This record gives sequence, structure tokens and C-alpha cells, in this order.
Amino acid sequence: MPNHRFKFIFAVVALAALLSSSVPIAQAQDSAIDTYAITGARIVPVSGPVIERGTVVIRNGLIQAVGAEVPAPADARLIDGTGLTVYPGLIDAYTTLGMPQPTPQASRTGGVGASPAATPAPSPSPQASQFSSPNSTQPVGLQPELQAIDYVRAGSPEIEAARSSGITAALTSPREGIFMGQSALVNLAGANATQMTLRAPVAMHVGFTPLRAGVYPGSLLGVFSALRQMLLDAERLRIATLIYEKSPRGLRRPEHDRSLAALFPVLQREMPVVMFANTEREIRRAVDLAEEFNLRLIIAGGAESWKATDRLRARNVPVLLSLNFPRRTTAQSSEADPEPLRVLRARVEAPKTAARLQQAGVRFAFQSGAMTNMADFLLNAAKAVEHGLARDEALRAMTIRPAEIFGVADRLGTIEAGKIANLTITRGDIFDKSARIAYVFIDGRPVDLRPVTPTAPGGANAGGTWTLNINLGEGDVASTLTLEQQGGRLSGSISGALGSAEIANASVGAGGEIRFTAPLTIGGQTTEATFTGTISGNEMRGTVQVEGRSPGSFTGTRPNAPPSNAPSTTPPTQAQPRTEEISK
Amino acid sequence: MRIEMRRTTALLLALSILSATPFFRAGAQRSSNRQQRTGEAPTPPAPAETVIRNATILTVSHGTLQNSDILIRGGKIAAVGQNLKASANARVIDGTGKYVMPGIIDCHSHSMLDAINESTYAVTSMVRTRDVLNPTDVDLYRELAGGVTTLNILHGSANAIGGQNTVVKIKYGRPAEEFIFPGAPPGIKFALGENPKRTNFPTPAGQPRRYPATRMGVEEVIRDAFTRARDYKKLWDEYRARLQKGEKNLIPPRRDLQLEPLVEVLEGKRFVHAHSYRADEILMLIQIADDFGFKIRTFQHALEAYKVAREIARHGAGASIFIDNWAYKIEAYDAIPYNAAILVRAGVNTSVNSDSNERARRLNIEAAKAMKYGDLSEDEALKLITLNPAWQLGIDSRVGSIDVGKDADLCLWNGHPFSVYSRVEMTFIDGEVFFDRQQDLARRADLERERATLEQAEPNRAPSSGGTSPSLPRGRRPAYGHDDDELDGGNDQ
Repeated sequence: MPNHRFKFIFAVVALAALLSSSVPIAQAQDSAIDTYAITGARIVPVSGPVIERGTVVIRNGLIQAVGAEVPAPADARLIDGTGLTVYPGLIDAYTTLGMPQPTPQASRTGGVGASPAATPAPSPSPQASQFSSPNSTQPVGLQPELQAIDYVRAGSPEIEAARSSGITAALTSPREGIFMGQSALVNLAGANATQMTLRAPVAMHVGFTPLRAGVYPGSLLGVFSALRQMLLDAERLRIATLIYEKSPRGLRRPEHDRSLAALFPVLQREMPVVMFANTEREIRRAVDLAEEFNLRLIIAGGAESWKATDRLRARNVPVLLSLNFPRRTTAQSSEADPEPLRVLRARVEAPKTAARLQQAGVRFAFQSGAMTNMADFLLNAAKAVEHGLARDEALRAMTIRPAEIFGVADRLGTIEAGKIANLTITRGDIFDKSARIAYVFIDGRPVDLRPVTPTAPGGANAGGTWTLNINLGEGDVASTLTLEQQGGRLSGSISGALGSAEIANASVGAGGEIRFTAPLTIGGQTTEATFTGTISGNEMRGTVQVEGRSPGSFTGTRPNAPPSNAPSTTPPTQAQPRTEEISK
Repeated sequence: MRIEMRRTTALLLALSILSATPFFRAGAQRSSNRQQRTGEAPTPPAPAETVIRNATILTVSHGTLQNSDILIRGGKIAAVGQNLKASANARVIDGTGKYVMPGIIDCHSHSMLDAINESTYAVTSMVRTRDVLNPTDVDLYRELAGGVTTLNILHGSANAIGGQNTVVKIKYGRPAEEFIFPGAPPGIKFALGENPKRTNFPTPAGQPRRYPATRMGVEEVIRDAFTRARDYKKLWDEYRARLQKGEKNLIPPRRDLQLEPLVEVLEGKRFVHAHSYRADEILMLIQIADDFGFKIRTFQHALEAYKVAREIARHGAGASIFIDNWAYKIEAYDAIPYNAAILVRAGVNTSVNSDSNERARRLNIEAAKAMKYGDLSEDEALKLITLNPAWQLGIDSRVGSIDVGKDADLCLWNGHPFSVYSRVEMTFIDGEVFFDRQQDLARRADLERERATLEQAEPNRAPSSGGTSPSLPRGRRPAYGHDDDELDGGNDQ
């Protein structure tokens, strides 16, 4: 109801401004109402004790005053805060919000139903990346100069879904690569990247996914070596440039290499490095690398970070902890192998991680971890509280902690006079399942709230259980591939006649390009195999490279895609009939 | 979990293995953080002393001792003999009727690697297996159950010059950094023949064929790399000399991670482990090494080494071979099971490796075969999997035999390790127990209970609606546990 009133007022004022001065609409909106007073509300400022009944005054995009005795200014639009709780605007500490969706790749066979023979076989060259730097000497995927801020687009459905879930600001980073590029902290409102930006660049982002199609580094082994060599090259260029600038005569000029130059602030510890790491070993590897080059490390993901708190605490490494908790998505089948204990344990341990980090004294902030239903953000934070995380600490992990980690605690993250007026206002306690988001203020303005609906994940939907037929030249061999998806990243296992193993180096693009490696056992030899292919709906096909063999092929099917929302909100879709399974 | 067994045993073993981790975590140095992982009661700290009483001790270095004791203190072998005195609170293990031998050393393993080959280039000396170790690989636990304590984790054989190796102790349950064998000399994988020339690995469509494609090319790639490494060393030597002279404004040469390890090879600081099959290519690599003035530490596989045993001995290299696996590709045909015996008699330091997560569990039997083929003595056969690979990895002063002062890396068998009926009862590393068969058996019921509890937990319950059924593989599902597996040459990476 209040929203409608605001909209109407906006429209009238905007129209009036437009008619009177013919200024662009964006500016006209800037001149609209900018003073609000939320009165009689419970206020949780995070920076101090809870105010059970007080007023927050917002003016010109900033928090002007907050307190129990603060009067509402005469020109303020009043919001009756009775029954409402005002929190600092929530921050999602790692997203790809506003980044372009990679353009879907044309199906390898020219579309569903088309004969493979009817179209020439496309070359397996990798799809052109959305993120590339012109004139870089480095291959795509190793271009640290890329800036998220150059790619951010306002107003995507994902942004709307996030802020409708109470999120006001987010760290957003390029989607892919080893040196993925530099992230930006953006407000989730504004007409364009310029208006949205809170701080850019914030951090350098490192993923450990090998490059595709035979380009070095093509394995996790090479990824580490490539990272090392670039950091060494950058440090040498930095020193050479210093020497040259002091006295250029008689010296060959150092190369002007923007890719390497982008690493100078990283080497100087001016810019932190966010490394994507979920398992204990990935986290320890990231810490090792950071120690080797004295980098300011931040871990993103952090599923098993509670197993490496010794290292994280020793180097004061914060964790951007994913709230995208794993859960079982497959139905029961008496025919299937039992799920590994490791998997069962991981799902149960996930909500306990935050409390364990708190106990161990490791700083952390919550991130959405490419969850498909943003309503899970608060629901899963509440689960972390159920599993022992202090409520105020959970709230900090969504407000002041990310602000501290990203260097904006002086302007964001608490309700204090003079800070940016990002507020999340709920009816009911924020960790209560029945809480509703009542208002979200970003930069001092209320934003439209829409019912939260699941959105497409970062990569094409690849999760679920696939039946693979792998042909290595001796007929089809069946395997079962189980994939769990987090955005464009995949994890899972493969089992069947070619042995059982965890997959590695797995990723899926938005166009359905899938890649992973797995050790296969063929006639007693266990050998690494690389799967490269494309998902189209519930089918996948592609090639298998196995050491010591001619390239093979594989096809895969799954009964249907896993639901892309939480079980709690799963619409009652029809379960797959068992009989169909068995008759296959 | 790459090799399947009969399903019931596989399930039981898998259950036990998957959570054996916390169970064997003894020792005071593990923090409450680690115990917190499972929420279990803290395990008591390892006793300061352990004594194994009245066992048959296969010392490897000085014969077999009957009815003797081993005293372990501070992770080292403190004493070997009869009626040893131990402190009152020492852990006492009754070895009556049992056999103790040094922990087995596997000189060629690809266990615990999240990636085996960086095959984009023919020279990948910059990559390090250390970067991609997976300490949770269940194969490690199975290897402990086969008495193995030390592994040489090698890069694959896709490249003429592959990546850097890592020598590890199998401290299963610990993070990777605790696996690293302290003080083990660094090494590097080389590869000759069919794998680096990509004979059996056709190029994916659309990609250019990788050089080299012939044995001539493999030789050229190695010579070229060492020529560059020599120039690189000179570049740095000159720079350091100018720096020494006090020259200012010098821009340092570029550090090249590909060439640095090769300079270490030239300086004798890094061991070369060369995957090789044919006699001619073994001689070729010895020639390169002689020309550039470095040594090959081991020829790996080396199925035709028996033809050039004297040349290998003269060069001072070791050979790390299979006993009776061959004919899995053209270059692996001209092999004989007497290879080990011939090499040993020619004075070549010889070991038997697995190159296979499966065979690694039964290296004792591989060594036993060397007694059948060529009449090696029991000690000579034992050395193939203990003291000899220890020398090949430069760790023979630390492990490989039961001698006072060496690391207490031991395995306790319920019978002679050369019998197919014998099983490992316990495996010790640095005096700590990392495998204990009795505890494993006792733990299985707990694991079943844990599974039942976990399956009832909310995130593990199948969605009541929606979600997919796990589908069944469409093809034929072969029976498990065929011995046909053993016809192959292993991973052959």
C-alpha cells in the first residue's frame, strides 16, 4: 500500500519536473522527495544497543539522525514504524549481480531434433568470453585488469530479486577466469553503474578453473604455476618501472603491460585478493599461495573453512561464507547406491560453519553463493543462528562485517548519522521465518519490492543425476553422474562401470558448456579423463579425452532438472514415476 | 574410490574408510579445532613410548630378528633387540607370531592428485604436484592398509619434461602440509617414448598437434630445455656478478619458473625420475645427462632396463620397475620378469613401484615375485619396496630399514609379508598409528549408526515432491572384482 502511494507521488513530481524544465527523467527523480522519517520503529543500529522505539531520519541519501527522541522533520515523508524493525541495509558479500549473462551457444547439432549430419560440425574452440581485455598479452582468463564496473548493468531481474529479499548492496565480480578481474561494491538501485557504485575496484578475484581447449594452463597444476609466474612477472615489471622512471637513460624501457600492472596494488597489499575456495584443501592452497606472495587474502565460498581456522586465524583471513547450503535434491530410489557419508555429513555441517568460525575468531561475512532463490539468504542465515551463531553476529555478517572487509565501514553497514541510508526494514525479527521485508531503502530512497521468484542460475542448469553413456570406442558404457551446482561451478561424482570418483575442475557456462575431469578406471587402469560438452535441456553430449586413448564421446540424460528453489517453497511438481525409470 | 570390490565388502570398507580419519587422529598437537570437526570425544594423546614385543623383525638392513622388540620414542626407532626396557606408561603391542617390516615406499604414485598432467606443453617443469594434493583421497587409506607409508607423488608422463614431484608420508586425516616428507630432495618427472610424443593420444579436432611427435623430437625437446636452462643460469650469474660489483640501476632478469627447476637439475639439487621403456631411449637420456653434466636418479618402468643394466649402473641411476606387467602398448612388449634380478645383480639400485592405486595396496606381493623370478634373497626382495626406493628418493637416512635412529615408519603383519594370506594389522608413521585393523573393524557399527542418523537429518532427506530420482545406468553393469585388472600396466602416467 505505501509503495503505491510513493509511486504516485514520484510520478506526479517527475511529470511536473519534466514539464517545467525538460530535464532528463533521471535527474527529475533526483529532485523528488528525499527526506523520510521512520517513526515509532524498533531500530537495530548494529553499532550500538537496540532502540526499542525510535525514529530514523533520512535526508539526501544519508542517515541524518537516529534515536529514541529524534523528532521527525516537518518536510519529511513519514513512515509509521509501529511493528517494524529497522536494520542496516543487508550486504551480499559475493555475487555476479549485473554482470552480463554469457550468450547461449548455438547447439552443437543445430538445435534439438536437427540431424547432426545436416550442419557442419562446429569447431570445439571455446566460446568467446564476455570478459576480455583488448590488446592484453595474456590469454582470456588471465586478465586481472578487467573491472566489474565496466560490465555492470542496472535493473536486472536478479538485482530486483536480491533487494526484494532485503539486500541493499553487493560485491559483484566478473564471472570467469583464473585472474577473473576486479570487483565492485554496488548499491542495488540506480539507473546505471555510475549511480550504483559504492566502491570500485574493491578486490582482485581469483578462481582456479583451468582454461579450455588446450590453452595453458589446462589443469589445476598449471593454474597455480600460471598464477605464480604472472605475480613474479608483475613484481619484476614494478621494480623495473621504478628503476626506469628514476633514470631512463641507458635502460631499455620496460614493457607497458596493463595485465601485469593491474597486479601492482595486489603485490603492494593495497588491494585484497578474493580466492574461491570451498574444501579444506582448496582453502589451505589459497592460504599457501597468499603466504608465498604476501597477499591480502579473502576466502570466498568457505564451505569447509571451519576445518582450516588455524591457518585463517593465523593470517587474519576473512571468509565470504556462502549461505547456499547444500541439500539433497534427488528422490529416494532403492536401486541407487547410498550417498557417500562425506556428502551426508557436508549437508549437515553446512549450517554450523558460521558459528564455528565465530568461536574460532575468524572474521566472516555472508554471501548468497549463487543461490537460485534469494529468499534462502535470510532463511539460511536463520539456520546458522539455530546452529549456534549469535544473532547479533549473524546480523553483523550481513552488514558491518562485509563493510569492514571491503573498506567501507565508515560509510556503510550500521545505522549511524552521516552514513549512507541503506536500510532493510522488516515486519517481525529478521531471523524469524515469518518475517516480511516491509521496506528497503537504498541511497535514501525506498525501492519497489516484488515477490521473490527463483531466477536463472549463473550457469545453465546442470544439477541433478545424469545417466551418462560413455563411448571410448568399444560401445556405450553407462555411468551415473551426480552434479551439484553453485552458479557456474559444479561439484559431484561419477560412478558406474568405469569406476567411482569425485569429479574435478568442473564448470558450466550459461550456454550449457560443461567441462569436468574425472579419473576413469578402464580395464584396470585408472586414468584422468576430461569431459567437454554441452547441456541442452535434460540432455548433454560431448567428447571425452582419456590419456592413452582416442577421443571418445558421451551422451547424458536426466529425468528432469532439479527444482531451482528451496524445498520449503517447492511447488508440488509431479514426481517422476518410478516405472519409467526402471523400463529404460 | 576407483577400484571396486565385491559390493558388500566394498560398502563396509568404504564406510570405515570415510570416517576413519578422526579415529586415528591421536596426538597432543592436534588442537581442539580438529576434535571439534566431528564433535567426538578428544582422542588421548599418543603415548610417549610404544614397544612392540616378541615379533619377527624384518630389519632389511641387517637380517631377520626372531622374538625381538622394537622401542619407539619421539617418533623414532629408539631400540631394537630382546627384552627392551620401556617406561611404565608405554603402549605395549604384543607381536607374538607377527612380523614387523619397515613401512613400504612406493616410488611411483599418482594418489592424492587433483590433477595428474598439465599436457598443454611438452615442458612443464613449472608445475608442482605439491599444489594439487588431496589428503582426503581414500586410496591413501587403502595404501596404509597395505603397509605403505611413503609415496613418490609424480606428475604424469604426457610431457618430455613434466612437473615437480612431492615425497609424502601418508598421514591420512591430516592436512596436506603435514604429509610432506621433511627434507626429501626435490625431484621432477621426465618421460620418453610414446606418451610424450602423444602416440596413443590423438589430438582433439581443431587443435594443432603438439610437438614432439617422434622419439627424435623428445630428445630435441629435452636438449633444448637444458640449453635454455644453461643460458638462464648464465644470465642470472652475470646479473649477480654485476650486482656484486656494486652496479646500480640494474633491472633483474625475469624469473622463469619453467627453467629454475632445470637449473636445479644441472646443479644436482633436483632428482630426475624418467618414465622410460626402451633400452635405446634409456641410453639416449644417459647421453643427454652426460652431455649436460647431470644425473638421472631413476628410470621409471624401464621394462627393457635389463638390456642396458651395466650402462645404468655406470651412470649411477636407479631403476623403478614393475615385476610382471607388460605388453599394454607397443613400447612395453620386450619385457621379462627377471628384470629386477638382472638389475640387482648388475649393481643397479632397483625398486618395484605401483603406478596404480590398486597395486599400491599389494606391493609386498610384487616384491615377493622377485624371489620367484631370478632368485633374489628375501632381504634383496624386501629392499625393492623399502631401502632401495628410499635411496632413489634420497631419504634412505630416514626410512627404509629398521635401524635405531630412523623414523618409526613400520608395518605390523599377522604373517610373513610375502604370503598372500598375510594382512597388515597396524601401520605406524613417525611412531603414530595411522592404520589399525582392529579399530577399523570396531568402528564399522558406529559408522552405520552415524549414517542412519545423518540420513534422517533434514538436508539429507529426499524432497517429498519434485526432485529427480537417481536414474539407473542404462548399460550392462559388469561384475566387480575381476582379476583381469592385473593384466595391465597400471596407471602408466
